[in-house]
Amino acid sequence: MSKRSYPLDWQGEKIELLPDRAIFWAKQNTLYIADTHFGKAATFRKAGIPVSEHTTEEDLQRLEKLVNDTQAERLVILGDFLHARAGRTEPVRTLLFHWREKFRSLAITLIRGNHDLQSGDPWPELGIECLPDPTAEPNWDLRHLPQESKCRSFLAGHIHPGYRIQGKGRDTLRCPCWVVGPTRIILPAFGSFTGLKNIRLFDKEKAYLTNGEEIHAIPSK
Amino acid sequence: MVQALPKRSKKEKSTKQKPSDQVIDLFKKNGWSPFPFQKKSWSAYAAGESGLIHAPTGTGKTYAAWAGPLIEWMEEHTGKQLPKRAPGLRVLWITPLRALVKDTTRSLQQLVDDLDLPWTIEERTGDTTGSIKAKQRKRFPSCLVTTPESLSLLLSYPETKDAFSDLRAVVVDEWHELLSTKRGVQTELGLARLRKWNPKLKTWGLSATLGNLEVARSALLGTEKNGQLIDGDLKKKFQVDVLIPKDMEKFPWAGHLGGKMVEQVADRIEAAGTTLVFTNVRSQTEFWYNALLDVRPDWTEQIGIHHGSIDRKERKSVEDRLREGSIRAVVCTSSLDLGVDFSPVDQVIQIGGPKGVARLLQRAGRCGHQPGAVSRVLCVPTHAFELVEYAAAREAIEERRIECREPLRAPLDLLAQHLITLALGGGFLSEDALEEVRSAWSYRDITDEEWGWVLDFIIRGGDTLRAYDQFKRVVVDADGLHRVESQIISRFHRMSIGTITSDPAIEVKFATGRRLGTVEESFISRIKPGSNFYFSGKLLTLKRVRDLTAVVTLAKRGKGVIPVWGGGKSPLSSELSRGVRQKLESADQGIFLEKEMQALQPSLTLQGSQSHLPKSNELLIERTDTREGTNWFVYPFAGRLAHEGLAALISYRMSQTEPMTLSLAFNDYGFHLCSTSEREFNEEEWRELLRPDQVVEQLLSCMNLSEMDKRQFREVARVAGLIFQGYPGAKKSNRQVQASGGLFYDVFSKYDPNNLLLTQSRREVLERQLEVTRMVDTLQRISKQRIVRQSPERLSPFGFPLWAESQRSQMSSESWGDRVKRMAMQLEKASS
Repeated sequence: MSKRSYPLDWQGEKIELLPDRAIFWAKQNTLYIADTHFGKAATFRKAGIPVSEHTTEEDLQRLEKLVNDTQAERLVILGDFLHARAGRTEPVRTLLFHWREKFRSLAITLIRGNHDLQSGDPWPELGIECLPDPTAEPNWDLRHLPQESKCRSFLAGHIHPGYRIQGKGRDTLRCPCWVVGPTRIILPAFGSFTGLKNIRLFDKEKAYLTNGEEIHAIPSK
Repeated sequence: MVQALPKRSKKEKSTKQKPSDQVIDLFKKNGWSPFPFQKKSWSAYAAGESGLIHAPTGTGKTYAAWAGPLIEWMEEHTGKQLPKRAPGLRVLWITPLRALVKDTTRSLQQLVDDLDLPWTIEERTGDTTGSIKAKQRKRFPSCLVTTPESLSLLLSYPETKDAFSDLRAVVVDEWHELLSTKRGVQTELGLARLRKWNPKLKTWGLSATLGNLEVARSALLGTEKNGQLIDGDLKKKFQVDVLIPKDMEKFPWAGHLGGKMVEQVADRIEAAGTTLVFTNVRSQTEFWYNALLDVRPDWTEQIGIHHGSIDRKERKSVEDRLREGSIRAVVCTSSLDLGVDFSPVDQVIQIGGPKGVARLLQRAGRCGHQPGAVSRVLCVPTHAFELVEYAAAREAIEERRIECREPLRAPLDLLAQHLITLALGGGFLSEDALEEVRSAWSYRDITDEEWGWVLDFIIRGGDTLRAYDQFKRVVVDADGLHRVESQIISRFHRMSIGTITSDPAIEVKFATGRRLGTVEESFISRIKPGSNFYFSGKLLTLKRVRDLTAVVTLAKRGKGVIPVWGGGKSPLSSELSRGVRQKLESADQGIFLEKEMQALQPSLTLQGSQSHLPKSNELLIERTDTREGTNWFVYPFAGRLAHEGLAALISYRMSQTEPMTLSLAFNDYGFHLCSTSEREFNEEEWRELLRPDQVVEQLLSCMNLSEMDKRQFREVARVAGLIFQGYPGAKKSNRQVQASGGLFYDVFSKYDPNNLLLTQSRREVLERQLEVTRMVDTLQRISKQRIVRQSPERLSPFGFPLWAESQRSQMSSESWGDRVKRMAMQLEKASS
């Protein structure tokens, strides 16, 4: 791969953080992403706010490259696949179907997030298995909403975590990040037309920042 | 501003008198004689003219503009009995602040009562209830007191045109406050519409004194009108007193001096009736409020705090107590600069440098409202060099050398918003609308291309959106009429009219739900739950932060940190800078007239002997080597914003001559560059470094403007209707169409780089945040100045405060990875 991934030992397994805002678990050939928010631009257009569908095209190209590069057999989406019911429009549908055509054998699992509950499950022809939040799997739970109280270790989304690093004076930089704790990982939002929420790290947690090319670790304070 | 007129009994009413004499009589009965400028305004109004009346606060501008329309109405009924029924809408009174609306209404009502006229005067703002608004739409009062936003909102209803058919006059209060802001431009567009409906409409503005009154008048009256410029300056006396610190240091630096002055300030407050204590930034307000309570613990109930981040309710209760005179002192920022007639105020204290002549004048005018009284302001330095500013400001006030305020040029975000307003308010034809918009001063030279772009943006969503037919913000019918069809879009638009962008902020609340105000997210994220901070004058303990709310309790004891809010620190104005340079030149000649200058004499003399005191036609450059490396200090006296840009520009140019890493610092007087390189620059090379060309191009290549752009784009996106903010303070709704300005910025930069809103936001960053025009002017001034280079062995008194501020920003040309690593290291170091 051209972009540098970041290997992690987590829960006794070797996983990789990928700069394209995904996690790859080679042993199971599984690719994890969260919060794609497809159809968000269309939702905005309906409300009279001009946003083009380019972000969707680009996000799908990125996802295509990820699946090709990793040769993943399974894709897990940790919630918020579609942004809103109003976004279930023709241009979005066409783009998604076109993309799915290229990966007929890829198994796709969606953990229903809060947005999915409003927008409804994806078009059945896309062949996406939709599961409730949380869903237990052998090594860890799959969640959309990260749980704060004690529970089994999990991967989650929802937050769209971001981190602002402050240089001197006005020199600041804000990037999407993973939040990695001993028992939880929160993934950055995959969709590029999504915002960031500044996060606060708990003890023993680290943020891994990415600019789409590289990954850097920021330790907890 | 208001002259108290006792109520007349009805018996005295004489119907035979000429109306204007009736008004004059009324004034005389109460022991007043109308000022010549008031009479001049009335007769100009009677002749159908428009105009701008300018004078410092508290001199009777309100009645100068208000009596005209009343006399006009009385004249219409000469020889007849005056009707008993209130006339329909005849006057629109626009004021920049909601907080001013109530007081204005009261003072307008007073004259109407005194003249025993049946006119009705009502308010209409964002606070007005829906039922009252609906009632008003059925029958408008004779005079409506409102804000620019509420006027825009009215224009979005088709029936407004009929309701306004008998409108005779619009009065814009505090025009100087609006002039160089988007709200001012919004007012211009509103006025253009009203004038189109009624070409005979008379427009009057009330303004404080400005350096460019002709421009202020043109902006108010539009391109098609000439009008009066009426000078209401009664040569009111202003007195600028200064509290000189007991022990003066030769090497002053920013920030640490203030605390030593608290006791003296408390004494002054004790000796007066009601005091307004002005500071320059919100965090200083918190600091001074608490510092005063530290030395006078029994004042808890007697002093108040007021700034823009404190909850509206809390602010209002402080304002009410000021009006009643039941409060000893209020520590405040520019939030109390404006209008409201706090007659009981009898002392004004200014903490820190005034930074501008107009600002000091405005603040001084908050007291001594009675005609003939002296407006006094007591200045308290927080930094010894501010003493020069006071001396310079006093002179400028006496000579009325006041700053200019320039109107903005054609903001397209606002035009997009306005065109949708017009589309809602009955629709528009492109050509007519263009002519109307061009009659507004700010858009007088808008190009056909820009116009076309904005139309395309609201109809098709701009270049990249042509392929999607769901986008129909504005539709054009067969006759070319532009209208809004969608109910959702209408509702969104009406809720979003306006230009005020509230920053994403964390609301501070007690567990009981009582709101205290807002702080910035970056501040609260550094506070651990259980730790204390000062806010709204209270010591609070942070309980938890959830979403956008910080829940707090009153702290039992201990100390806390004071929040810092971004922005708001105004740079030294050009007028004041000129004054400061003149004072320094006098000092160089051994002239120390004022006691402020005398107090600074030891420090300035040392500056002169150790290095040099620059004359008005000189630029001083110092070089001093310290442990950190080579330090260059350059003193253009152009204000902190321009210096920030100049420092970045010069360091970029230096590093072009040979690779070097420079750290930068700046204040209002100059900037500081520090490098480990030993390279020397001779005079010719300095000339080259300071040349005035290629400024913008080079700034773009050396400053990381994209983060600034992103922040600025938030405002642009909000005004252009991309971000739906909802009602201020209301809970966010329509979550599915929420996106941040930064996100739009990223998406547009990538897929729609020719979007003119991006260009506008860049222009706003360059002008507002970096003052590029001033930078270029400064470099041009420097190119005609003599360069004086000095190499003092140790840091000079001028250089010391800059050195102390250094390391605040750093040039970074490393790769992203290195940059993050370096920052991470800083973080780790700071936390250990």
